[in-house]
Amino acid sequence: MSDEMTIQSYLEQGGKLTSPDNAPARYRGELMRLMASFVDSELAGAAGFADCINDGPGITERIAASRIVLEKLDHGERVLKLMGDFGADTLRYASHHPWTERVARDADIGAARHGADMRLSVFHYPIEGWIDSVTMNVLMGTAVTIQLEELAGISYQPLADEFRAILPRERRHAELGVEGLRKLLADNSEKPAIEASLAYWTPRVAASFGHAGSKRFDALKRFGLRSRTNDALLAEWRETIGKLLAELGIAR
Amino acid sequence: MARFFPLDVTDIRRETRDAVVVTLSPRDEDRDRFGYIQGQYLTFRRDFDGEELRRSYSICAGLDEKILRVGIKHIDGGFFSGWANSDLKPGDVLEAMPPMGSFHAPLEAEAKKTYLAFAGGSGITPVLSIIKTVLAREPHSDITLIYGNRSISSIMFREELEDLKNRYIGRFNIIHVLENEAQEIDLFSGLIDKEKCRLLFDGWIDIEAVDMAFICGPEPMMLGIAAALKEHGLRDDQIKFELFASAPRPHRMQRQPVTVKSSDKGAVCQATITIDGTTKTIEMASGQSVLQAALAADIDAPHACTAGVCSTCRALVLEGEVEMQTNHALDDYEVERGYVLTCQCHPLSDRVVVDYDQ
Repeated sequence: MSDEMTIQSYLEQGGKLTSPDNAPARYRGELMRLMASFVDSELAGAAGFADCINDGPGITERIAASRIVLEKLDHGERVLKLMGDFGADTLRYASHHPWTERVARDADIGAARHGADMRLSVFHYPIEGWIDSVTMNVLMGTAVTIQLEELAGISYQPLADEFRAILPRERRHAELGVEGLRKLLADNSEKPAIEASLAYWTPRVAASFGHAGSKRFDALKRFGLRSRTNDALLAEWRETIGKLLAELGIAR
Repeated sequence: MARFFPLDVTDIRRETRDAVVVTLSPRDEDRDRFGYIQGQYLTFRRDFDGEELRRSYSICAGLDEKILRVGIKHIDGGFFSGWANSDLKPGDVLEAMPPMGSFHAPLEAEAKKTYLAFAGGSGITPVLSIIKTVLAREPHSDITLIYGNRSISSIMFREELEDLKNRYIGRFNIIHVLENEAQEIDLFSGLIDKEKCRLLFDGWIDIEAVDMAFICGPEPMMLGIAAALKEHGLRDDQIKFELFASAPRPHRMQRQPVTVKSSDKGAVCQATITIDGTTKTIEMASGQSVLQAALAADIDAPHACTAGVCSTCRALVLEGEVEMQTNHALDDYEVERGYVLTCQCHPLSDRVVVDYDQ
């Protein structure tokens, strides 16, 4: 059979890799970086939301927040297991970093990674109270859904499989956020606080989509690890959030 | 980190001129570790002239056979496969990691599904495991195998597949496609590519009824089949791939001799770092790790935990001497080859050459 083809050319044509053995060195590095970013964001995100569970006004809200925390930890663990296939020490990884650590509320770290973990920059900011956790969850939950839709088609099949399984649950987290927001909006007096919180989180969540015209994007695209640009994903998020807030009657 | 366990070779059967089927038995205390899912593979390790080689081979047994069995086809120039085909004998002990891999779909006893499987050459091994398991565990499902080989004599598991066809009449069909042999029907000669799939989906296979497709073979075959399947409406989550790297990778590192100069630790060191084909030489400040120095010089080196735990920052040291402060991620055999965690790596020599591309 004429089966001579480089892995690079195979990937450029949409081929899928199926085990660590198949992965060339640079592909391995970028894939690991991508997985670490997801795992760190899930662990840091869960750690942040965990502190908000008791702020929930009723049991239903606390159950929803608990579920989000539980499932984000589960999602982190699933992807960390795949990093383990490449040699990562999964036990040490889960505890190598203080995931609850946050910067000051008014710090400005932009889109940059901060400190010794790869969480998306938005997860470095502290959540303050129930309203804040609901609005952050609506904005970031929607962003995660868009980012996972992008990543569900990536070329490392075991990870694509996990992302496809995780996607509906992360989408549900965003929906729970919207349900929570509707409840809060029933009380008109909460509106200014909600709008202030949205104003705080919107630029920070937007920054989590990464830089426009990222240099790394072309390399990731050749590896089949990305397909749409950061700008395109960000534009979709802005449109989705814009429609949602308009429907809810919230000014931005 | 990877752990290996001994497996006793209990049987070796010659399957074709250049392929053997090896039956293995774990020790009693390791038996639970070697439970497997259909379609998974085992990674073996063995020393050849003092150098450790690792190779992965798919399990070809079905779940209900309750045995551990792999097929090993001799690849030209392949050390491990050559050795397994000529020297391996019952009573020998192989070292293997527990089964890995995600080339499978969940089994549902009540499901009434239609599966389509494609195998090229020795790509049949995991596909055979799936076929046997699905036929036994999903009594209402059916499966069609499209199996490409060079010639009749190179077909692995030919008899076993015929037996399955007779045992599961109406639920299991095989279409053999032979590269070098003319057949009564032209469609069954040549390569399994996109065009061949189109023709097969035209008259021979009801592609609209297919719930899930499995593909295992060399890269061009997988691309061609996947393209044809997608063209006919299958989604990504309905197509499962298992890639067999077709070309044997170089088994010996082409390492330049390591030059070690007298070192004054803490002195400035010159580091030559290659990434994405671009090489940059930088001065390292004392106390810096190779990764820190690379990042400080605006080199976009991959990294994550920076604690020696995740191995994202792995690179190969081609020249010079280094020490790693912590290593929780690289195996001994990777370290012996010269791989380092650059986040933990400090030069001992005046000059180091580090490559992220290998």
